[in-house]
Amino acid sequence: MKLLRALVQPLAATAIALALAAVLLAAIGADPFSALAALAAGGLGDRIALENTVVRMGPLLLVGLGVALSFRCGIWNIGGEGQLYAGALAATALVTRGLGPEAGAGSLGLALLVGAAAGAGWAGIAAALRVRRGVSEVLSTILLNFIAVLAVAWAVHGPLQEASGAYPQSDAFPDLARLSVLPGLRRVHLGLVLAAALPFAIWVLLFRSSAGLRLRAVGLSPEAARYAHVSPERETTRVLIISGALAGLAGALEVSGVTGRLFENLASGYGFTAIAVALLARLHPLGVLPAAFFFAALATGSGAMQRVAAVPSVAVQVIEALVIFFSVSFALPKAGAK
Amino acid sequence: MPRVALRDIRKRFGTTEALRGASLVLEPGSVHALLGENGAGKTTLVRALYGSVRPDAGVIEIDGRPVEIENPSRALALGIGMVHQHFMLVPALSVAENLVLGEPGSAWLPRARLRTHARELCERFGLALDPDATTDSLPVAQMQRLEIARALARGANVLILDEPTAVLAPSEVDDLLGLLARLRDEGKSIVLISHKLEEITAVCDRVTVLRAGETVASRPLAGLDSHELGRLMVGDALPPPGRPPETEAGPLALALVGLRASGLAGIDLELRAGELVALAGIDGNGQGPLEEVLAGVRALDAGEVRVLRPPLALLPGDRQRTGLVLDLSVEENLVLPEAARGGEPPVFRAGIVIPRELHQVATEAIRRFEIKASPEDPARSLSGGNQQKVSVARALRARPGVLVAVNPTRGLDLAATAAVREELRREARAGTAVLLISTELDEVLELGQRIAVLFRGRLLPVAPDAHTRAAIGRLMLGEGAE
Repeated sequence: MKLLRALVQPLAATAIALALAAVLLAAIGADPFSALAALAAGGLGDRIALENTVVRMGPLLLVGLGVALSFRCGIWNIGGEGQLYAGALAATALVTRGLGPEAGAGSLGLALLVGAAAGAGWAGIAAALRVRRGVSEVLSTILLNFIAVLAVAWAVHGPLQEASGAYPQSDAFPDLARLSVLPGLRRVHLGLVLAAALPFAIWVLLFRSSAGLRLRAVGLSPEAARYAHVSPERETTRVLIISGALAGLAGALEVSGVTGRLFENLASGYGFTAIAVALLARLHPLGVLPAAFFFAALATGSGAMQRVAAVPSVAVQVIEALVIFFSVSFALPKAGAK
Repeated sequence: MPRVALRDIRKRFGTTEALRGASLVLEPGSVHALLGENGAGKTTLVRALYGSVRPDAGVIEIDGRPVEIENPSRALALGIGMVHQHFMLVPALSVAENLVLGEPGSAWLPRARLRTHARELCERFGLALDPDATTDSLPVAQMQRLEIARALARGANVLILDEPTAVLAPSEVDDLLGLLARLRDEGKSIVLISHKLEEITAVCDRVTVLRAGETVASRPLAGLDSHELGRLMVGDALPPPGRPPETEAGPLALALVGLRASGLAGIDLELRAGELVALAGIDGNGQGPLEEVLAGVRALDAGEVRVLRPPLALLPGDRQRTGLVLDLSVEENLVLPEAARGGEPPVFRAGIVIPRELHQVATEAIRRFEIKASPEDPARSLSGGNQQKVSVARALRARPGVLVAVNPTRGLDLAATAAVREELRREARAGTAVLLISTELDEVLELGQRIAVLFRGRLLPVAPDAHTRAAIGRLMLGEGAE
């Protein structure tokens, strides 16, 4: 019953958005039904489509989880994109420059850890600025996005460029530093199993631990939290670091599980779509699973929609925007309420 | 004929009767003091005149004719202006723009015309204000003048000032009182809400005293001394029914040594185990800063808080803002301090909630304090009294050696009030050092074994044989402070 009530608003938002998208598609002269059918088939229609969707879902899930967690604490971390890039950059630097090709089996785990740590560190800059200097984390995380994305561009043109120097990209990861694909599948890698387990861990953290109680209290009423001897500054720092670590892990999973090397526009826009994921999930850690799946399917299906129904794939961005618009218009839950 | 007459005004908010037949009559060319304890109904009464509160019963007459004042614009049209405690100015606009804001057609005035118009207005009322200054760059005293100028520009004959000197420095107070005297000589009727005796005697010619929502006196000020005024304000009722607990004072539990911070001008106090000490005083004399210092959320400029029998638990004065996290459940609010200490057993183990223990804690608190709620209810859904009981339960869970309670019964009904007061007595009997900070004089008299009065950030001691409403009332107004 509780679950049903929680699902009504996101489902209604999605339905209204899709209906309005159909009207818009008709307005630009496309057949809305065949276009939406192509979109669905492209995202979910067969095994390959499903695998592509699940692979895309990984970073959306992890970054979205971090966003949901920080929003619950009243911290508006808009820096998922930058934290993801920082994680990918650090993992790549470690694997292609730090360890060398003869590194052992531990290099994969180390790469994921370093990626998460780099994301955490990148978000930690925003935390320090906010706690020490009162700089709004909205501003600092947005600006840190630009720095991280440009740092990756510089790295693949410079210190991390592949040995042959042909393209602006890093050397390929050696096999030992790559996440293996699950048996019987083409693309879905081991890292996605980890990603799918994390929402449950974050749920326990948020609703079943003293740390979660503290951070929800800060999100709901920093003053009352302070009177109960909870330090809003400490919780702000903690939540930004966890949130950044999740995004950094997403970046490391992307290079070691999907692309196998670092290049520009590695995961362009994932950090921002992840905010939509968190909002559609109504900031619930478990809600992030279906929400990330939905946005991943939209992105995967957009190519098919373009081919089959001759609708520009940017139309999918309009649909994404509509879903966000309607899911935000239906009142969001209070930051820390269950 | 009086310019304004409010007769037998009644107003009820929920279950509390804020006004129970209050009257106020204003003559032209007069400064009228409105006096009363916190919660006596002064602000509600002037709000009824200003149209921001609709009375349930009673008559308002202007120049002898009965009127209905539905809203503040109607009040302004009738010549009634108000200077609020929190200024109603647009900070980003200039002085000139704020002055004409809301006047019909003002949006289309060219800048130069606007400026000369503003300058004329300031000159006419003798107010030194720079029309081009941005409002939020003004010192507080100037903002207040701007508020007054705006009301006058709108043609106000009646000016209501709600504790206007609370925000001013002493020299600015003199300027303001001078201005009020000048306006009085021009024939304006002025209502001055103030707790400060010297201001009242300096400028007012009549006084109306409210007590518990009723007008208990309305008379010329001439011939009234401070003793008489204090008695009028607090009444000379018999001592209240409850009595302070009879306990033996034990070892020293809390020492406040020369506390100085903004709003605190040097507080020294010693509190022993089993003692119940009460601090009376009118709101705004240091209660807020003292609470914040004891809560550990405000830094001291000088002095020291020594807790010799820890822990110190606080019952915050504003249970909605600082006492509870309203959107967390009752049980989560109860264990928040334990979560703050990193998740202590038995409710937490390795930082993880043990649901059975959490439920146990909440059901015990609900039974012991007779809280009408279930453990999972959000605190917001509880009545004020039940919220306060949750707050009490949480403070006592820490097994405090020192308990500080700030206005613990504010806004509670009789039954909840009695329950909370009894809880404080019980704590003292159990050996806790209890410090009560309350603006309610009855509460102070009913609970305090020792009493002191907070006045302008200092403590004025009350002699043991002077625990009477009249004596404390005089100290609350600052008599004997200098």
